[in-house]
Amino acid sequence: MSLIQYGFQKLVLLNSAGYSRAELPLDDSVSIIAPNNTGKTSLINALQFLLILNKQHMEFGAHSFENTRRFYFPDNSAYILLEVLLPSGMAVIGCVGKGLSHDYEYFAYQGSLDLDDYRLDDGKLVTQPQLIGRLFECGKPAKIYPQAELRALLYGNRQKQRSDDPDFTIFPLEFTSQAATYQRILTRTLRLDRLDSKEVKNYLLEIFKNDLQDRRVDFKSEWDKSFADVNYDKSQYDAVFRNQTLIADMEDNQQTRRTLRGKITLWRPVIEQGLYEWEAYYNNTFEQLTQQLKGLVVDIQALENRQKAVYKDQAETDNLLKGQQKIEQHCQELTLRFEFVSDLLQLQNQRQSLQEQRDERVRVIKNAEQQQSPESIKRNLVKVGKEHADLQRQLASLNNNLYLQLQKLLPTDSFELLTRLLAKSVLSLPATENSAVKLDNAVAFQSFAAQLENNLSANRLELPGLSLDLSALEANLTLKTAQELETEISDCKRQLVELQNLLQTVETLAEKKRQQQELERQIEVLDADITDYKELLLMQANGAERLQILAEVLQKLEALKREELTLTDQKSSISQQQDDNKITQKELQSQHQRINNARHQRLDQHPPFTYLEQLPFLPCMEMAKLAMPVLADRIESYNRDCQKLNTLDDNLNRQLMDLHRDGLNKFQTQDSTEQELDALFAYTVNLSQEQAAIERKARSAVVQIAAILRDLRDSLETLKRRMREFNNKINRRQLSDLKVFKIEPREEEALVKAIQTLISTSEQVESGNSFDLFDHNAVLDDKELNHAKDTLIKEGEARGGLRVEHLFRLVFIIAKENQTPAEFEDIDSAASNGTVLMAKLITGLAMLNQMQDPRKTIKTACYLDEAASLDQHNQRNLIEIAAEFGFTLIFASPEPQITARYCVPIGTTNGKNHISRLNWQILEPINNADLKPLP
Amino acid sequence: MTLILTQLTQLQPLFKLLSSGTHLNRFQDTELWVELENQQSHYQDLFAALGFVLVVDGRGFAYFKTDQGSSYTGKLTRRLALLLMLLFEYQADQGLHLFQFQQWRLDTALLEKLWQQYHAILEAEEMNSPQMLTEILDSAARVGFLVFEDQAYRLLTAVHRYLDLFEELAQAERPDQLQVENAEEALF
Ligand SMILES: Nc1ncnc2c1ncn2[C@@H]1O[C@H](COP(=O)(O)OP(=O)(O)OP(=O)(O)O)[C@@H](O)[C@H]1O
Ligand SMILES: [Mg+2]
Repeated sequence: MSLIQYGFQKLVLLNSAGYSRAELPLDDSVSIIAPNNTGKTSLINALQFLLILNKQHMEFGAHSFENTRRFYFPDNSAYILLEVLLPSGMAVIGCVGKGLSHDYEYFAYQGSLDLDDYRLDDGKLVTQPQLIGRLFECGKPAKIYPQAELRALLYGNRQKQRSDDPDFTIFPLEFTSQAATYQRILTRTLRLDRLDSKEVKNYLLEIFKNDLQDRRVDFKSEWDKSFADVNYDKSQYDAVFRNQTLIADMEDNQQTRRTLRGKITLWRPVIEQGLYEWEAYYNNTFEQLTQQLKGLVVDIQALENRQKAVYKDQAETDNLLKGQQKIEQHCQELTLRFEFVSDLLQLQNQRQSLQEQRDERVRVIKNAEQQQSPESIKRNLVKVGKEHADLQRQLASLNNNLYLQLQKLLPTDSFELLTRLLAKSVLSLPATENSAVKLDNAVAFQSFAAQLENNLSANRLELPGLSLDLSALEANLTLKTAQELETEISDCKRQLVELQNLLQTVETLAEKKRQQQELERQIEVLDADITDYKELLLMQANGAERLQILAEVLQKLEALKREELTLTDQKSSISQQQDDNKITQKELQSQHQRINNARHQRLDQHPPFTYLEQLPFLPCMEMAKLAMPVLADRIESYNRDCQKLNTLDDNLNRQLMDLHRDGLNKFQTQDSTEQELDALFAYTVNLSQEQAAIERKARSAVVQIAAILRDLRDSLETLKRRMREFNNKINRRQLSDLKVFKIEPREEEALVKAIQTLISTSEQVESGNSFDLFDHNAVLDDKELNHAKDTLIKEGEARGGLRVEHLFRLVFIIAKENQTPAEFEDIDSAASNGTVLMAKLITGLAMLNQMQDPRKTIKTACYLDEAASLDQHNQRNLIEIAAEFGFTLIFASPEPQITARYCVPIGTTNGKNHISRLNWQILEPINNADLKPLP
Repeated sequence: MTLILTQLTQLQPLFKLLSSGTHLNRFQDTELWVELENQQSHYQDLFAALGFVLVVDGRGFAYFKTDQGSSYTGKLTRRLALLLMLLFEYQADQGLHLFQFQQWRLDTALLEKLWQQYHAILEAEEMNSPQMLTEILDSAARVGFLVFEDQAYRLLTAVHRYLDLFEELAQAERPDQLQVENAEEALF
């Protein structure tokens, strides 16, 4: 510390804040004394205009800024002035009202603050328009400064100053960028009641900002950024891995496709040429064939005609042959038949002998033919035999037959009538025992006969319902005598013998007739034989001639047969030729048809065939020569190839789309599908290298993330260190009865641990410890790592980015003598009012001090309103601590605080406050030895 | 007090969570917590106007302070207090730092050990089976003292309430039985 004490000298208010004039010493601690509601606070608050400048940072409690302006700058001769001793010499910073608008403006100049400079000879205050001229007259060239410019001057922001400006730096900050923070803390320090741990944390963060890598880490986006590639690569790798079979198939397809392309490219012009030539070829060939066919038809016609002639000839010759054969056969038969005949005469002699026998028979028969026929003779024999039998029977029953019985018993009439009715055989039936007639009761029969008598009258039989005339009937039996009967019987016997003889004669005649007929037949046969034999003799005479003819016929037949065979052969050969010709024609037509169809079905007029040569293909090594007959096959197979190529295109596109759908899009950025496929196949081949590459990437991603987090963690460590220093600063002297008063950062364990997890993972990775992405310990699957990541992401998202401030909270640790320290979040609850007040003030001052450039100390002021709440011991302490931090302390209280160097009561005249340096009371310790000297 | 309700964007979820007696935990409900951090006084004022005392503990939890619990919560609190106290004792015996309780994994094995070691004490409080312990922990999870994840319970920041109480009581050196009873009074 230099011998000269740079810093505030005094504050002067002229015609402001209810003061007609106020002069307040600021080079040492002051106790402003006045009853309540006099103007102590307003006096000190006036400093804000000069020290804070920016009205946004000024604070006037319940008073609005509008009212405050009116209060401090009622007219254009209202002044707030501060005299300060700077290394560049004494300087005055001022603020003057501009009049009715209650606006104000800043000015400054080098030199001491002399109140006479502001008072005219007539005792009135210099008005704002006169001010600069007046000061110039007084040898103090002042300058009006816009608020911002003056602020830059006071806070040492050289960049914003003009080079000719004097150095007015009151607050030499280590970092001029912290001016705003400084001002805010200053304002707060002026009004301490609301300073809480959160604010302290914020201020400290701002103070330490330059030491910290205080960047906002959007952890999620950092993570995503670092891992985007890895995750993406991994996803691509997985997709390829999953789809290896499909990709292999695609590779096959692509190979086939390229081969096909080469083939099609090769054949296309050949096919083109072939199609061009086809029409002529077709017409020519077809015409040739038609002509040929016509010739064949004529040929076959000729053959057929000849064939017909042959057939006819054959049939005729055949007939001839058959005739000859028949004759020959007949000759043989005859030869066989007359084997035993020596000559014709033999036959003729036989015939002569037979004719003589026959003539003899004819004469015999003619004699016999006068007699009855044998049949009538036989009939007479039967009739006579029967008569003979009848007569025998009558003779046997001559003594007792029915006729006799009836004759005995019945009257004659009745008897006679009855014989007419009954048959002769009935009447002649024997009436003996065991015979057909039984007459065992003669009486009964007689009575019956009497009755019958009644029914018979004059040749009539009257029966109930029947009348029968008997007159025409003859009596059936007239009874012959035995003699009569015997005579008749011998007659019959004689007649029978005669008849027998006659019959024998007649029957011999028939035999003779039969013999005659036989002879007649034999003569006829012999006649035929003679004719045939004559024929045989003739045939035997011309036998050689016949054989000649037969041989000729056979020869002819043989020749005809041979010709017929060759004709058939020729015919079938020609018809074969015809068929062949027709088949060829049909084939040609079908080819034509096929070619026409194929011509229409050609696909190679459309993409991709129109630019096929530009697509990658494998050169085809075939000999692309075209023979017309195979054009149809060729073009069809060509079309099929085209079709196949299209199908392959479709397949590959579909397969590729499937891959895309499965998330594989790494190669989509390629210019064409072909290149995409090539890239894909190349990738697939090197899958294991890709795996290794991803692993490397994952490692470096972790390392990258960890680097960012390491910054955060290092910042946290730095902050903790700074906080320790800060605690040392505020603990240089004991505060009140507090043994411990510390502001400590408490880490947010979960976050710090998460960060640590990531960092140590990274270290593990960097140190080369096994960390195989695709193995158990994979970065992407590490549970703890993921948990850490999620924690940080969640926190980052909720807070819109991770900062070091999120990694800790501040606690106040306070302990009185003989007490264990306790943690408090809110300092207000930590101790008694006075102690809290002190703690806050010291904290605030320490923070301000922290920001100041330690090389340049310029003592400024701060104040403690309601200072009465501190005991003298603490007041003294506070004054000393404040002094160490570069501040003089202003107490404000209704009672004088004797710990201060100056006691300044506020006087009031005519309702106006005033403080003149004449009222200042300077307190000196009586016994210097008992007290520490004031600096 | 000027409240701009539209600025209190999480009013509804916050109120719903807190009014159900649940503890809001910094790392479980990060979004709500951050909102509460940013607008703490506003929420406190608003809830106070509704008759709720919102306590926000910088260690990472918040809750509505209530005067008395129902007999059910009373019983639950007493049992949970006992269980936690035994847990803390057990873990301390294992050489673990009590303030790192958030990192502990309360898995079946640990609960089993607790039961083995303390079943006499637990049975005195009508906790008759290890199953009962999980039931209590489940209930406690519903009000934000624990969370069940990854096959184990984890203590959440709100457990500081119990831990504070145990420390306080330990300093006063009272017999165990009394501590548990006081736990109920202090917490609800
Ligand atoms: N910024 C301001 N704008 C307008 N009027 C003000 C302003 N500051 C103070 N006053 C007025 O000045 C008068 C003095 O108030 P001030 O607060 O300075 O009194 P005090 O001496 O500090 O009293 P206490 O001992 O009660 O703190 C009051 O009538 C007050 O209304
Ligand atoms: Mg006051």
